[in-house]
Amino acid sequence: MEISWEQSVTYSINTIYLLFSAYLVFVMQLGFAMLCAGSVRAKNAMNIMLTNVVDAVVGSISYYLFGFAFAFGDSSNPFIGTNFFALKDIPNSSYDYSFFLYQWAFAIAVAGITSGSIAERTQFSAYLVFSFFLSGFVYPIVVHWVWSSGGWLSASSSNPLFASGAIDFAGSGVVHLVGAVAGLWGSFIEGPRVGRFDAFGKVMPMRGHNATLVVLGTFLLWFGWFGFNPGSFDKILVAYPSTTDQGNWTAIGRTAVTTTLAGSTAGIVTLFGRRLLVGHWDALDVCNGLLGGFVAITSGCSVVEPWAAIVCGFFAAWVLIGLNFLAVKLNFDDPLEAAQLHGGCGAWGLIFTGLFAKEEFVIQAYDSGESGVVRPHGLFMGGGWGLLGCQVIEVLVIVSWVTVTMGPLFFALHRLRILRISVEEEIAGLDISSHGGYAYNTHQEDNQPRFNADYMSMQDQS
Amino acid sequence: MASLTCTASDLVPLLSSSSSTNATALASFLCTRFSTISDQLSDATHAIDNTYLLFSAYLVFAMQLGFAMLCAGSVRAKNTMNIMLTNVLDAAAGALSYYLFGFAFAFGSPSNGFIGRHFFGLKTYPSPSGDYSFFLYQWAFAIAAAGITSGSIAERTQFVAYLIYSSFLTGFVYPIVSHWFWSGDGWASATGSENLLFGSGVIDFAGSGVVHMVGGIAGLWGALIEGPRLGRFDRAGRSVALRGHSASLVVLGTFLLWFGWYGFNPGSFLTIAKGYGGGGGYYGQWSAIGRTAVTTTMAGCTAALTTLFSKRLLVGHWNVIDVCNGLLGGFAAITSGCSVVEPWAAIICGFVAAWVLIGFNILASKLKYDDPLEAAQLHGGCGAWGLLFTGLFATEAYVNEVYPGRPGRPYGLFMGGGGKLLGAQLIQILVIAGWVTATMGPLFYVLHKMKLLRISENDETAGMDLTRHGGFAYAYHDEEDLSLTPGFMMTKIEPTNGSPSEGQTSPSNV
Repeated sequence: MEISWEQSVTYSINTIYLLFSAYLVFVMQLGFAMLCAGSVRAKNAMNIMLTNVVDAVVGSISYYLFGFAFAFGDSSNPFIGTNFFALKDIPNSSYDYSFFLYQWAFAIAVAGITSGSIAERTQFSAYLVFSFFLSGFVYPIVVHWVWSSGGWLSASSSNPLFASGAIDFAGSGVVHLVGAVAGLWGSFIEGPRVGRFDAFGKVMPMRGHNATLVVLGTFLLWFGWFGFNPGSFDKILVAYPSTTDQGNWTAIGRTAVTTTLAGSTAGIVTLFGRRLLVGHWDALDVCNGLLGGFVAITSGCSVVEPWAAIVCGFFAAWVLIGLNFLAVKLNFDDPLEAAQLHGGCGAWGLIFTGLFAKEEFVIQAYDSGESGVVRPHGLFMGGGWGLLGCQVIEVLVIVSWVTVTMGPLFFALHRLRILRISVEEEIAGLDISSHGGYAYNTHQEDNQPRFNADYMSMQDQS
Repeated sequence: MASLTCTASDLVPLLSSSSSTNATALASFLCTRFSTISDQLSDATHAIDNTYLLFSAYLVFAMQLGFAMLCAGSVRAKNTMNIMLTNVLDAAAGALSYYLFGFAFAFGSPSNGFIGRHFFGLKTYPSPSGDYSFFLYQWAFAIAAAGITSGSIAERTQFVAYLIYSSFLTGFVYPIVSHWFWSGDGWASATGSENLLFGSGVIDFAGSGVVHMVGGIAGLWGALIEGPRLGRFDRAGRSVALRGHSASLVVLGTFLLWFGWYGFNPGSFLTIAKGYGGGGGYYGQWSAIGRTAVTTTMAGCTAALTTLFSKRLLVGHWNVIDVCNGLLGGFAAITSGCSVVEPWAAIICGFVAAWVLIGFNILASKLKYDDPLEAAQLHGGCGAWGLLFTGLFATEAYVNEVYPGRPGRPYGLFMGGGGKLLGAQLIQILVIAGWVTATMGPLFYVLHKMKLLRISENDETAGMDLTRHGGFAYAYHDEEDLSLTPGFMMTKIEPTNGSPSEGQTSPSNV
């Protein structure tokens, strides 16, 4: 069949848009690597960066071989996909290579989140195992439920749940909550880092070794988020029939705006919130606050008004601060606050969408702006309980699914004694013990635990 | 632009009369509208293609940043300023030499098979053959080649020598090679209209040979002629690791290079808005571009994983620096055939590339060859493997998509396409090695004889930053900061009624 000129133009434009968005999402891998590196102690920098590199490369193989198939295979099964293994029958009229690459970039982001929670004390072989399993199986199943047109929870399904389906546009739940719950279990089963809580349960500060890398990483993540959120439209060249010059390009621009506003608001609120709480202006807390805002808006970025994004960011900052307090009280140690940030703000983001989604935007995002369509939308916007109900179900279902898959996996690794490293290795640092040497050759490591409190915590570990 | 509107009230008067004047007017009415539509179609196509190529050029430029970070992290802290300055200058000096004559030598068609001769200083450019976006894209490639070489001769080379070799490589040696294999006129190009080499021409889509081998072989000669860094091989001939000062920068640089490779490989299609007939109505150059991004990814990832496990077996631990180098080796290898092989074949490419790199590193150590960035082994060795790989695995369908107009042309040996393509690829390897040796070898040798190449032993021991670049890159401790202890009083001392000591302020509390 000869392809017409206008089809060539349409496909070219859409492919450019999706491919460059995929490259931007890939940059987030780099951003997260730098964020992680700067947030851990210098003696573990090689390890955490290697886990980030490996998340990308291991995830590529597992996602290519079967992850993409589970996620986007044959739409008739609502729970799991059953074709496109190793990209067989791709490209076709629904999915081209650019779509695969875009989805791949998302898949490798998930395992990165989890690696933050279990940083500084996990054996490298355990990383390989959980990363392969998370990117290749656990995550793609969730994708199928929420993003495949056959998925039981999907808003693009022909028969959506509660006549609505869940709206998780770029993955507050599918990506962030999944990664966070996995990290939560890993970190909980492993226990806190040596020296993190003293004998009386008081938290000891464990500062990262390089604030510059943290800020670099945060900005790269922000930059990449412009591919993560707006790119999830997949196609830019879709005109809305009931308007004269609006189309996906308009909604995409609006999505970039909501993303920016939510992150910025969360950052500012964190800045002032922490100033009140701890007495100084903390750059690293602001970075985390920013990211929490981005995570939260990721679910509803395309379907809310810009002013609503400000509300989203405002509450995301407090959710993060609150969950951090809770973590300390429960003696939960997460070096990157990943479970609190990605999990807590991710869950908040899903609820937020159920409250603030605007019907006109929902129709633009999920029905290409067709006229005469009715959709459940945000409760506060007069849209009833259908959408909010689906959002709550999504939170519950993701928490349960990831718990029953990753929980036992981490527990089994723990029982086989291949999850956590030994205390001696942890004190010396992972780099010198398993990675051939230190990351830096001009700095001396100076926060070796030397006190009785650490000895006491070590006693408690066994 | 003429109007595109077409209403019945315009057309009916022209149709209702049968006089020849009105027939002419009718024809003119319709034809103007068709021409206007055609102009708008071609304008849109140009806008789309230029957007695509420009953004790909920016991505390739990001590789410059990536390589700067990779280099910085891989050398000792005392040489950081030097290596980063060389990277900045590769870009800047390369811009000038490539603009003035490099681009002309490379793509100045119509010309002969050896060298181009139009567009010096971009005269009479843009032309039907290309727009500014094409020049910028090619410039980004040109500066990449010089960057590779700087890695091999790092930590011991005089800055003047850098400027000289860099301008020569970017302005002459590299453009000639790109003319041979990428210009329509080139004697070994796969896109020529007649007399293709072995009936096939060479397929080096984004430059495993043209960029990576050229940079790697030039670096090889520089490093061989200079000799190893002080202390790299001890008196007993054992290899001593001279570790880089920051693994974080190495990882940062590697990821930026990966990111930029998405402009380097897929961008080499140059245009995106082109349908390939016979695919069911959705298949076109955009699909091939997506596929190229996928093959690139798979090769790099496989090479990285293979390196991870192989080094774990060979040295007993998980080494992030080696994994980063393996990753880059996979990318360097797939660069040649990224557009003409299946994704599963890219996995094979990456797997072998990892072993090629490990093998060359062992050989380098045995031969007492010191390359701080393992650039010659990686870009030269894996680049050459990539060319051979293409000669084995290029598929018939993809070769004909990417290089259309000559049905029945040779393709990969293992795919049933005969040995002609592989033969052409071998010729490319030999010719590049020969040409770069014949040009850069003597250049480095002359610089060496004139004592302009290597720095003195004292300078090398103290570090180039301190001796030649104004000071160290890092200043983490304030007690070293001389501005806090000025040699003169900063505040006025007021006399008081109390004891003399009360009125005095310390000069350092400013």
